Amino acid sequence: MRIVKFQLTRWRVTVLLAFLALLVGIPAVSSSAAAATTTGYVALGNLSQTPSPVDVYLYSSGNSSPQLVEPDVAYGTILPYTAVSPGSYSVKMRTAGSSASSTPVWSVNLTVKAGGSYIVVPLRTSAQAGSLQVIDNNLTTPSGKAFVRVIQADLNQQKVTFHCSCAKGTAGDIVTGAAPGTVSPQAAIPAGPWTMTATGPGGVGSLYVPLTAGQVHTEIVISGPDNSILIENVLDAAGAGVAPVGGVSTGFGGTASHGSGVPLPWLALIGAGILVTLASGLRLRRRRLTAKG
Amino acid sequence: MLIRRPAGVVFAAGLLVIAGGTAGLLLTRHSTPALRPPPAGVAALPVPTGPIVAPPQEQLDKPAPPVAKPVSLIIPLIGVQTKLVTLGLNADGTLQVPSTTAVAGWYTGSPRPGAIGPAIIVGHIDSVTGPGVFFRLSELRPGDHVYVRRADGTTVEFRVTAVQTYLKDKFPTEAVYGATPDAELRLITCGGVFDAATGHYLSNVVVYGTEVD
Repeated sequence: MRIVKFQLTRWRVTVLLAFLALLVGIPAVSSSAAAATTTGYVALGNLSQTPSPVDVYLYSSGNSSPQLVEPDVAYGTILPYTAVSPGSYSVKMRTAGSSASSTPVWSVNLTVKAGGSYIVVPLRTSAQAGSLQVIDNNLTTPSGKAFVRVIQADLNQQKVTFHCSCAKGTAGDIVTGAAPGTVSPQAAIPAGPWTMTATGPGGVGSLYVPLTAGQVHTEIVISGPDNSILIENVLDAAGAGVAPVGGVSTGFGGTASHGSGVPLPWLALIGAGILVTLASGLRLRRRRLTAKG
Repeated sequence: MLIRRPAGVVFAAGLLVIAGGTAGLLLTRHSTPALRPPPAGVAALPVPTGPIVAPPQEQLDKPAPPVAKPVSLIIPLIGVQTKLVTLGLNADGTLQVPSTTAVAGWYTGSPRPGAIGPAIIVGHIDSVTGPGVFFRLSELRPGDHVYVRRADGTTVEFRVTAVQTYLKDKFPTEAVYGATPDAELRLITCGGVFDAATGHYLSNVVVYGTEVD
């Protein structure tokens, strides 16, 4: 009696274990669609006329030793983007040559997201006032277009109109009446060989800027020699201007194994077999119990 | 005897069904031979020598010198050494693919390899009869190296950061083709299950890389 019961139970356990082992052994047919982007990007710079130059420090949150130090960063400089892990950071800027433990002129905290891209620069609204700003870039351009953002970093020009010689039918002025320290939203501009023009009370500055679809640009208005107006062009990022639709047909099946390769029908068959086995096994045991008991 | 009883017969039949299902499953399983490290001969492909050009600009506001067009692709670890054809878009907006399975192609609508942004390079996993240029692409792993030679004789080096397989109807367009702040590379081929009814694989394998400074 006891022996029979034990044997049947062992059968079931064995079958179940075999089934589980099989499931574990089956390779996943569709792998994860997890994003491959695991880093963020930070571009540090100095867009404040005073003090200049500065020493720039990037600290990972809670860490007293800097992750990055860039000495002597002059007014009008944007350093290349640095890849950093997502997380919390602080940026501090000190007058060039100051001790690393001295009180910074500028400081700000920022949170870097995976795939995020940030410009961190000090901007002045007047000779007395200003702050270290974190500018979050949107890198997802509309198909066939580029993004252009304008930073007004010229204290000598109280109102600046920034114009793009774009194709007919598009808004040519990206920003009008921009005060010092102003950061414009990103404007979607058609691709093309444009001339950017910054007009202020004190003059006009211009720059030839060819835009390719999928690019992200920042145009910076800065004060040049003799209070002239200069435009600096920064290429923040670039992508495929027109993203292809859907997936790519790059195979003819010559090395694919025959049959569907999809395990589901087989799994269903195995499951059915297990059900039948268990059910009949249970019936067998009951009969034996009835016969012998 | 146990086996002569109806329940016993059903029990045995159940076991047979399990055995049959298991056999079917195992026989139709995709075999993915473990070819790392690559077989002798293939592995002997030399790492390219010559100037490897790091990102030239010290400051983003100084215009970077133009980057020459890509002409060939070298992936020593998986025995790939191919010239690069140029690819555009089909009328329906999908990406063109090389007309032969023996070469890879660069999508001219993407940045040139070594310029800021994701350079897109596409190759076939197979033809109707055998392996194509990217047959072993899915064997690449983060940290592996990929080289692109350019028309001016310079070579740009990329380090693999990720290898992903996506169902084609869930292709992550933004992650693959979207803008990046640094010079990156995307190698694309087919993978996953082959649908004999449509003559297409159901998935794409995408290798992500970033330029080595």
